[in-house]
Amino acid sequence: MGTAELLQFAIAGLKNGSIYALVALGFTIVYASTGVINFAQGEFVMLGGMLSWWSYSMFDVPLVVAGLMGVALTAVVGIVFELVAIRPRKDGNPLALIIITVGGSLLLSSLARHAFGPLEKSLPAFTPGPSFRVLGAAIDRQTLWIFALTAIAVVLLSLLYTRTRVGKAMRACSIDRSAARLVGVDPRSMVTLSFALAAALGALAGLATTPLTQTAFNIGPSFGIKGFAAAILGGLGNPFAAVIGGLTLGLLESMSIAFISSTFKDAISLLVLLLVLFVRPQGMFGRAVREKV
Amino acid sequence: MGRAALLRYVPGAVVALFFAALPLLATGSDARYVLKVFTFVGVNALVVLGLALLFGYAGQVSLGHAAFFGLGAYTSAYLTTRLELPWIIGLLAAVLVTAIGGMLLALPSLRLKGHYLAMATLGFGEIMHVAFVEASGITGGPDGFSRIPLAALGGFVFESPQAKYWLVWGAVAVGFIIAGNIVSGRPGRSMLALHGSEQGAVASGVDITGLKVRVFTASAVYAGVAGCLYAHVVGFISPSSFTLHNSVIFVAMAVLGGGRSLAGPVAAALILTLAGFADAVFPGLSRETLAVIQDWQADLYGLIIISVMLLAPAGFAGLYRAGLRSVGVKL
Amino acid sequence: MRRRFVALGVAVLLCAVAVLPGCTTDGEPGVDAGDAEPIRIGAVLSVTGPYAGLGVPERNAIELEVARINDAGGINGRPLEVLYEDDATDEAAAQAAAVKLIDRDGVVAIIGATGTGQSMAMRGDVERAGVAQVSMAGGNVITGEFSEWVFQTPWPNRVVVPFILSYLQEQGMTRVALISDSGGYGKDGVQITKEEAAGFGVEIVAEETYQRDDKDMTAQLTIIRGAAPDAIMLWGAGSEAPTVLKNAKDLGIEAPIIGAPGNARLELIEGAGDAAEGFTFAAGHILLPESYGVGTEAYEVATDFVDRYTEAYGVGPDIFAGHAYDALHIVVEALKRLPAEGFDAADVRDEIEATNGFIGVGGTFTYSADDHNGLSESDLTLYRVVDGVWVLAEEAE
Repeated sequence: MGTAELLQFAIAGLKNGSIYALVALGFTIVYASTGVINFAQGEFVMLGGMLSWWSYSMFDVPLVVAGLMGVALTAVVGIVFELVAIRPRKDGNPLALIIITVGGSLLLSSLARHAFGPLEKSLPAFTPGPSFRVLGAAIDRQTLWIFALTAIAVVLLSLLYTRTRVGKAMRACSIDRSAARLVGVDPRSMVTLSFALAAALGALAGLATTPLTQTAFNIGPSFGIKGFAAAILGGLGNPFAAVIGGLTLGLLESMSIAFISSTFKDAISLLVLLLVLFVRPQGMFGRAVREKV
Repeated sequence: MGRAALLRYVPGAVVALFFAALPLLATGSDARYVLKVFTFVGVNALVVLGLALLFGYAGQVSLGHAAFFGLGAYTSAYLTTRLELPWIIGLLAAVLVTAIGGMLLALPSLRLKGHYLAMATLGFGEIMHVAFVEASGITGGPDGFSRIPLAALGGFVFESPQAKYWLVWGAVAVGFIIAGNIVSGRPGRSMLALHGSEQGAVASGVDITGLKVRVFTASAVYAGVAGCLYAHVVGFISPSSFTLHNSVIFVAMAVLGGGRSLAGPVAAALILTLAGFADAVFPGLSRETLAVIQDWQADLYGLIIISVMLLAPAGFAGLYRAGLRSVGVKL
Repeated sequence: MRRRFVALGVAVLLCAVAVLPGCTTDGEPGVDAGDAEPIRIGAVLSVTGPYAGLGVPERNAIELEVARINDAGGINGRPLEVLYEDDATDEAAAQAAAVKLIDRDGVVAIIGATGTGQSMAMRGDVERAGVAQVSMAGGNVITGEFSEWVFQTPWPNRVVVPFILSYLQEQGMTRVALISDSGGYGKDGVQITKEEAAGFGVEIVAEETYQRDDKDMTAQLTIIRGAAPDAIMLWGAGSEAPTVLKNAKDLGIEAPIIGAPGNARLELIEGAGDAAEGFTFAAGHILLPESYGVGTEAYEVATDFVDRYTEAYGVGPDIFAGHAYDALHIVVEALKRLPAEGFDAADVRDEIEATNGFIGVGGTFTYSADDHNGLSESDLTLYRVVDGVWVLAEEAE
């Protein structure tokens, strides 16, 4: 196998990996503020693509406007979901909240089928054109966009968490809710904000991948599984871990295809994930888990 | 017997009697359909009973139980169809194989907690799903496994809808009694201790390792038996019945049922399964109404899950206890 | 806690009230062809769940045709009534639906199901009750694993594979790579291709798979590119097919990609855009009825259906609508050959098996005691995507 091929496999892995990373970031944000795995995260990805498609085909606006509308509308869905379904559960029991997000996932994908029908929808590439060649390997333009968006998202998130008042308040809530309330932070609005952010990030992932893969009402869970796996592999709780987890998962899959078998790539990468967890129960970069659930 | 005791035990007895007698009540042209639907309810209830032990009492999560369901189904189907062994051998093998699987899945639970355990069990389920699809020499691959013989015991073949129904609900009854004995005895108290706090359980002398392995094994066997029954009731199985979606729905049923309860999760299995077959409960339902309900079934599922978790935080079991308390029964 | 209890009770009541107005007694409305007792057949479709994209056009086609048949006076003076059941893409639900249709509603035949697994799950009950089943699923197993009660309208892969292989042979493309989804359709196609390839002088040089909902197949295609095939056969009907085409184009793969009837979807061209150019696939004549030859009876049947469907639903029928059209009309033609009264489900089965030269939109069907698919390679034709639309491959060449 030549270097060009190896590079091609690496690019394929990083491409899938950054999609997983974007989804994993959404898991991380909600987890950080609530201690909950949001099973509806995949539906935010689906809605991002769907609502962008809807804006694009309904209002005859440029793709960038339609995309922004799709992301914004999905964020609104995230906020509404949090206000209607998460906030009323006052005890914050993580398992109960997780099951609520399972219900939300079923509901959102089915509503999307009612609203947009069962067939898949497509969007044009952000910047159409032939793929680039690097040392004999091909990179298509949309993939570069996905790389860029993932990078921007992780940098902005880190800045948000470390440099801004709101971000610090969000982190404070995840560490100790009542202490945060004492210093004047409203934990409930921080949770709402985290759902809005997670929904927007998920929508961004959906928007960026729809030109490559199309979107349909039932694609949410497949994004959800990969994103969850990536978040766990990296270790829950910090954005960099989520990104590393996503990229690792993508590379694992493409290298499985290259050297073992495409049929068993998912089984192989999950097996590696199980082995990693066996050695490091808190994921690659996670802090040791507090007893929860 | 005082009023309180009556209120406490009579409802359960009435429900048990109702399920035992349903095949005698259901007559006419609807009978076969209604019994088939309630047979599916029983199959799901059996899986959920196992999950109730695992989650509701021991506080451990599994997103991989559809794999045990499938493992039991394929094991029994293979032995009875390809090797033409008697059904009882298939059933015992399903028990054995899923017990071993349950022990294997207990291993990560010894080290992993919370979401990390959920991911590990999910990964196990997905890997098993790939195996069901790819091991086509044994499983028939994605096309599925057809012409699975009916269950038979001695010379008796469970062929009529009534016989299939009693077979499945008989298994549910046995499962319920066994689970009831487990949770009311010493293992049940240890499990609750584990649910409360792992360190606390250790401090009070609970053998955590042994307990986790046993409870994972037990709940896997429940799913395996249910899978075996499903295979011989439906006569056809394929990997699409053993997916993550099924695992998640099973867990949702167990959680909706409420912790520290067996009857609650069974009730949740009943309600969520019947949501897709409304005309089995309301025979007068017009086709138009039914079509609308079916079209909105997934939404209905989601809404039921969300509203129960919000309006009845302790699930169906909590709701029932609250109902009893409101009529003056002390629990 | 008590207030919550009340709230939930109110919620349940509200739901019940919402449902009640729809509760009517048995009288089935909607059929107006005469006063005669309607002939009832059942249709089990995946209108929701993962196969909703297939089940919805199927139901559209059946509704369209039933209305037309009843407007024209029904069957032998009796109106036709189709009872629809949604299996939600679930096997157990498909079986329950079959039981309901057979035992409660007393249908004389069943159309369905949409998917292969759902169709197989119904088999035990149609055999037990002796009711014919005409499936719209393409799985080879449906008629390959023979049942005297089960018929099928799509082209199974054992018909499609030799058709494509003989095309490759004609073109002198002997080194062929396979890429397939790991579902039933892909596995089936790959297995039959491997069995038959040698007979057509074709060598399989690479074999790769992808999972449903995979986002990128660049890695698989990189391996295929390394094997330097003359052509790539794609076995995958789902929404991943356009991704394969796009990835192949990005990698600069020049070998033509050849697909199967499952790829005959407008969504594929929309999704793949430029990358769909040159994509060649085998499918029935319905996509371009003139491929039958303008003026032939088959041409008239297909254009008539395409026109009426397009008028009713605003989009042209896809192949799934075509399979449903065929399934319904095969049953209807059998019923027409029977007397108006006094036949049973077994008679309907016998007449379906006697179908001889029925011209549907998927092809010309001739069933026999050992062939319940009834199609041949001549019912397929090759299409190629040129300038964003499909044209006949021979005209494009």
